[in-house]
Amino acid sequence: MKKVAVVGIGHGKFGVRSDASLRELAFEAVKACVDDAGIPLKEVDSMVTGIAGDEFALGLQPSAQVHDYIGFHPKPNFRVEGACATGSIALRTGIMNVASGLADVVLVVGVEKMTEVPTSTATEIMGKAGDSIWEYPFGTTFPGYYAMIANAHMAEYGTTEEQLAMVSVKNHYYGSLNPYAQMQKAIDLQKALSSFTVAYPLKLYDCSLITDGAAAVIIASEEKAKAISKKPVWIVGSGLATDTLRLGDRRSLTSILAAREAARIAYKMAGVGPSDIDVATVHDCFTIAEIVAYEDLGFCEKGEGGKLIAAKETYVGGRIPVNVDGGLKSKGHPIGATGVSMAIEITKQLRGEAGERQVKNAEIGLAHNVGGTGQVVAVHIFRRE
Amino acid sequence: MSVEPDRWWPFISSGGNRMDFKNFSLNIAQTKVNRFVDELAAGKFMATVCKKCGKKYYPPLADCSNCMQSDMEWKQISSEGKLVTFTKIHVPPEHFAVRQPLMPFSSIQFEPCPIGIIAVEGELKIMGWIPKVDVKKIKVGMKLKASPFTLPDGKLTIVLEPM
Repeated sequence: MKKVAVVGIGHGKFGVRSDASLRELAFEAVKACVDDAGIPLKEVDSMVTGIAGDEFALGLQPSAQVHDYIGFHPKPNFRVEGACATGSIALRTGIMNVASGLADVVLVVGVEKMTEVPTSTATEIMGKAGDSIWEYPFGTTFPGYYAMIANAHMAEYGTTEEQLAMVSVKNHYYGSLNPYAQMQKAIDLQKALSSFTVAYPLKLYDCSLITDGAAAVIIASEEKAKAISKKPVWIVGSGLATDTLRLGDRRSLTSILAAREAARIAYKMAGVGPSDIDVATVHDCFTIAEIVAYEDLGFCEKGEGGKLIAAKETYVGGRIPVNVDGGLKSKGHPIGATGVSMAIEITKQLRGEAGERQVKNAEIGLAHNVGGTGQVVAVHIFRRE
Repeated sequence: MSVEPDRWWPFISSGGNRMDFKNFSLNIAQTKVNRFVDELAAGKFMATVCKKCGKKYYPPLADCSNCMQSDMEWKQISSEGKLVTFTKIHVPPEHFAVRQPLMPFSSIQFEPCPIGIIAVEGELKIMGWIPKVDVKKIKVGMKLKASPFTLPDGKLTIVLEPM
């Protein structure tokens, strides 16, 4: 594949953003992104927009709202969706755009405004991201699906509710240091463990948030990247893989097999392995998902994810720092923006611009983004010069 | 005096004995596998089997993606199996949401029912409600039997119960 690099990053404030519309949220991120890249928007050839739900946007063609509002006409815009992996699929689509030669500089925007509908409606929309015919009639929700993964994992490997809570404590700690995070508040283990049950065994502090927010990156071909940026971050691996729609049809309930496949492809393409990764963002929509991700990405053996967090190996200074931006858990999870936000955090880390959260000398980073209950997974690997 | 559900839900008995898929699923009324609901109402769990490759589908599918063909036959499957996983959802989605009571100063106590997935005949997975076992006593691997159950509103659903 032709070389592609991230040359600009822009992150909007995540949270309950009743002060701004979908298009205004996107503008914040795009503005920050062009400022960071140091080029005017007219030097961008094409645009990819990740918005997961028309249901959240309350209308068809929500990406046109964003495209119009940033004044990108007459240049092309392409919308993609893949539930919670939408942002990473948008990034991959941008990479394809550059690698094909159709464009040299591409803007990738991820945005979602989820709080305009009531929480129960949001819960329903998310629940139907499973199988709306065969699963949803049993009252399934997203916490419910991941609770079923948690119960299977606990039964097979002895993973504990305390270990799940430890993921939450870590991610809230790092979220408290991230000015873009929705919940900038550290918590202790007792607070996580004593919160109310959302879907047994997952409690409130095991669950990520319903969030409004946007994130944008500009990516470019090798020649353009070198001209635009002093610190281009190269995207050296991109893996995208899929599995069944229904959780019950999976060959494993303790692993997300699409993540294993996406990781295998990305590692191979990048020519690196799990032990080469200096910092990672993984899809912690629920605490159990982060533990499963450790295992699926090869950061530890199958079934050892609970022990990895218990040993604090995924903190800065540990063997493999994970979600040191607060993760979906504390930073928030505007589903269309999350994958792009992950790419921004890894780019910051590799540029050495992550401040208090900086992983020393980080050279290779990984972003893992899961859509549906594991129906689609994207893994990207980034590397600095 | 109890009121017959049919008086409140006349659409159930309209059109003869045939059940509409809407009586099982919340949103989908139109599918090629409608027979599933009729058979379920009669107590049978039916899968479809591809006549070419023999692949078995539960939930039943009208088409075989393995062979890209649609010559399927219906086959009854076992309703007994081992629990693969479970949960109990305390924060329900919109359709199942508990409304505020109309009586002022009154509250509703919501005690949700656990759900689970059993594996029958090896690979096939049946999802259902687990109304008769306390969630703390539910164990992955326990044996459960799936049965159809008609709810008070006339909707047909599936329950998983200890044998």
